[in-house]
Amino acid sequence: MPEDIQTFPSTDLTLAAHSGAHATPLDDLESVIALYQPRVFRFLLAQLRDRDAAETLTQETFLRAWTARASFREDCSIATWLIRIALNLARDHTRTGRFRFWKHLSTSAVDVAEVAASLPNREVSAEARLIAQQQVALIWQTVAGLSERQRTVFLLRFLEEMEIPEIASVTGLPLGTVKSHLYRALHIIRTQHSAAAHDPASLESADIDSAAPISINKEAL
Amino acid sequence: MTPQLARQLEVTTSTHLTEDQFGELMAGGGRDNGLTAQAHLLTCEKCAAELTSLRESLSLFQQATGAYAGNELRRLPQASLPNRPMLSPFLAPALQPAYWLAAAALLAGFLPMQTLHRHALQPAPAVASSNYAESESESDEALLNDIDREVSASVPAPMQALADPTATDDTDTSVQTSTQRKD
Repeated sequence: MPEDIQTFPSTDLTLAAHSGAHATPLDDLESVIALYQPRVFRFLLAQLRDRDAAETLTQETFLRAWTARASFREDCSIATWLIRIALNLARDHTRTGRFRFWKHLSTSAVDVAEVAASLPNREVSAEARLIAQQQVALIWQTVAGLSERQRTVFLLRFLEEMEIPEIASVTGLPLGTVKSHLYRALHIIRTQHSAAAHDPASLESADIDSAAPISINKEAL
Repeated sequence: MTPQLARQLEVTTSTHLTEDQFGELMAGGGRDNGLTAQAHLLTCEKCAAELTSLRESLSLFQQATGAYAGNELRRLPQASLPNRPMLSPFLAPALQPAYWLAAAALLAGFLPMQTLHRHALQPAPAVASSNYAESESESDEALLNDIDREVSASVPAPMQALADPTATDDTDTSVQTSTQRKD
């Protein structure tokens, strides 16, 4: 597990830390931001693939959380609640025609090469590191080609390490639907991954410098 | 033979993992906790290798995305943190009387200071006026005399023509003087 992920809280702020003068665990917004901003930003970045949009919506997430903190019932973790807000904002954002228009022209779109190059340094050979980067690029581009729901549940499970019931809570989908989307997304990724494993040339063609998502032949799957 | 055991034997001996079984192993959520699929892995090297390879790739994806997001977040200026909600706790209703008191105290302190400041500034124009050039003093003097003459006249200069139609020369002079003053 890399340091960046280890530093993210696996458990939420304890309520004891917020007892006394604070009415809700979200009153200490500074601590909440310090703990959860990396996680919210990471999810939005992977979901939207746009730095500026991810940054804006991360701020908006904490603003919404603050203004609606009285409605936080503590029936879920703070992280789950924040990710739910972030997801709703991302949905609203991507449904606008303005987003689709600017996405074509955006200079803040995430570069898959930068993502792949961000792999933490490990004591491996240059060849092994290159293969690892190609694998990351392949997954990143395949995820980009998934449907919105498939991508959402995939990222919540494999990026945010949420359990399936938690994903159902965040997305508002039934458990069976979450599983269906998740298994479908995994099948698509598995197919691309398997093809690349059998044909290393196709892994190289998963061009690290290309930001375009891998086109998925859904009928063939 | 139980149905579960029969299904397990069928999967173990014949085909590879199905889409759902593979998903269960990767993501959880299986009915039997993936026992059937795990039993298959013991005998099928192909599926076991594929599962291991895909898990490793997903782990790399998670690491790279997390590291990239962390780097990007560190690049963002501190001003990008939401400031509006950060200020709000200081505007809590319970604290508002204290703010009003503080504002009143500041105002009470500021007004006397401002008065003192004005008094201190008053000599400045006098000092400045002493530096006037002699020509400027003379023109000021002439202007004052002109005003004095007009004010002390029984008929104002603009009305002089009506009061004494024959005195055209004086009127012209007054009008000229007024025009010059406007300039």
